[in-house]
Amino acid sequence: MPPRRLRGLGSFLLVAGGLLVALRVLHVGVPLLFPGTRPGPFAVASLDEAQRRLGFAPLVPAYRPATLGVGRPSLTVTLGPYPTFLAVWRGEHSLSLTQRRGGPRPAAPPTSQALAGVADSLWWRDGPTNHLLLRRGEFWVTVETDLPVRDLRRIADTLGPWSARGPGPAHARLRVPPPG
Amino acid sequence: MIPAAWYAPLPSFLWQVALHSSIAGVVLYGWARHLRLRSGRSKRHLLALLLVVPLLTAAIPGRTSLEFRERRAWLDSGRLLAMPLVAGARAYHLVLLVGAMMAALTIWQEVLPALRRSGARRGEAPEPLVGLARGFPGWERCEVSLSRTDAILLATGGWPRRPRLIVSRGTLARLGDAELAIALRHEHAHWQEGRWARSHALFVVRLLQCYNPVALWTFREYCLEVEIECDAAAVAGRDATPLTRTLLAVYESTDRRDVAARAALRRRADVLLGNDRLDDDALPLATILAAAATLAAILPWIV
Repeated sequence: MPPRRLRGLGSFLLVAGGLLVALRVLHVGVPLLFPGTRPGPFAVASLDEAQRRLGFAPLVPAYRPATLGVGRPSLTVTLGPYPTFLAVWRGEHSLSLTQRRGGPRPAAPPTSQALAGVADSLWWRDGPTNHLLLRRGEFWVTVETDLPVRDLRRIADTLGPWSARGPGPAHARLRVPPPG
Repeated sequence: MIPAAWYAPLPSFLWQVALHSSIAGVVLYGWARHLRLRSGRSKRHLLALLLVVPLLTAAIPGRTSLEFRERRAWLDSGRLLAMPLVAGARAYHLVLLVGAMMAALTIWQEVLPALRRSGARRGEAPEPLVGLARGFPGWERCEVSLSRTDAILLATGGWPRRPRLIVSRGTLARLGDAELAIALRHEHAHWQEGRWARSHALFVVRLLQCYNPVALWTFREYCLEVEIECDAAAVAGRDATPLTRTLLAVYESTDRRDVAARAALRRRADVLLGNDRLDDDALPLATILAAAATLAAILPWIV
């Protein structure tokens, strides 16, 4: 029983609590009824699924050194506010590739500079990590890796849209291994 | 999905003000119904709270990121806004439509009438009326002007150092001396005990939310509560009959289609006649402050 000077507060908390529960039910329930209402991020199992959710073909590098590991990369898709695809390889070295359709240019430090031989690029180094920002049509592509710069250049050179039709090197290595 | 521009700082802030205002409105309305809250100070405090708190909670930064909305928020309204309706329209289209309608309604019903009133041509008021008005404390420099309309109109304007009273020809023709005196006393009460400053400050807060239907309703309720408070101040220690007769005269001269104005007049008359009573201490101030603090703590988790 609240003290007299807080008379009426109990019923306020009851009403507020009831509404909060209802709002949480909406938060959880609406995406179950309308799956397209949730912006993500979603972990996806394959580039096929990523393309289906995003509505565009993810850009993947054909060149991936063996030091990135033999396991499949983790693939994440975000639908809002801008459709974004994220692929991360982790092995002896790591590589993360983010591809975003539209929106403002991702931040780059003032010390960044064009990477020689790579069009529409900005490159900078932050400790052991090399960063590369690329403009590819309507997409912003960000690459972060601890691979050396020469590998970064080859990754940028071999970056291309993944296609479900051809097996291709990217397709072949990014498929989910069959269960069992 | 909803457009990315929705999450730009200004649109996101404006939407969250309306969202927080709606949620706080439902909570406070439900609470007031549960308590059977009567007109009075407590109700005015809650209405003011409903106008101000959403502006503060919606301004808390760093809550529109996907990380916050997906992992920390109690409710991500983006999910509700993205719900499909009909013919490709989504819920956010409906929200935009309601917001535009509310902004148009504010201009039509509040801004334009105020501009028309301030720009209207007026004549000299009768000397006895000027004397009566200037007899009230603080109104020694009151400017009294006569509106040429035949409707019953009695309003105040201007600033605390230079108040202005506008009386229509219809008022002078249809109200007796006793009714006119108590009506003036009611208008004078609007300028006492900080009511003018509070009402104008809340009007600014309400104009900032001109697109928000909850703010529109809340401010109108607040104004009605202030009218009831000023009625009570005008008749304090006096016979309430002249003011009730005045309200009745205004009620009869109000267009039948103006349902909201007539309902407000009925409510004021009910309080004056004792059918409904004022209760200034329905809730302790500590309870209202605790409710405000609770809302201020909860609402930022809703984006």
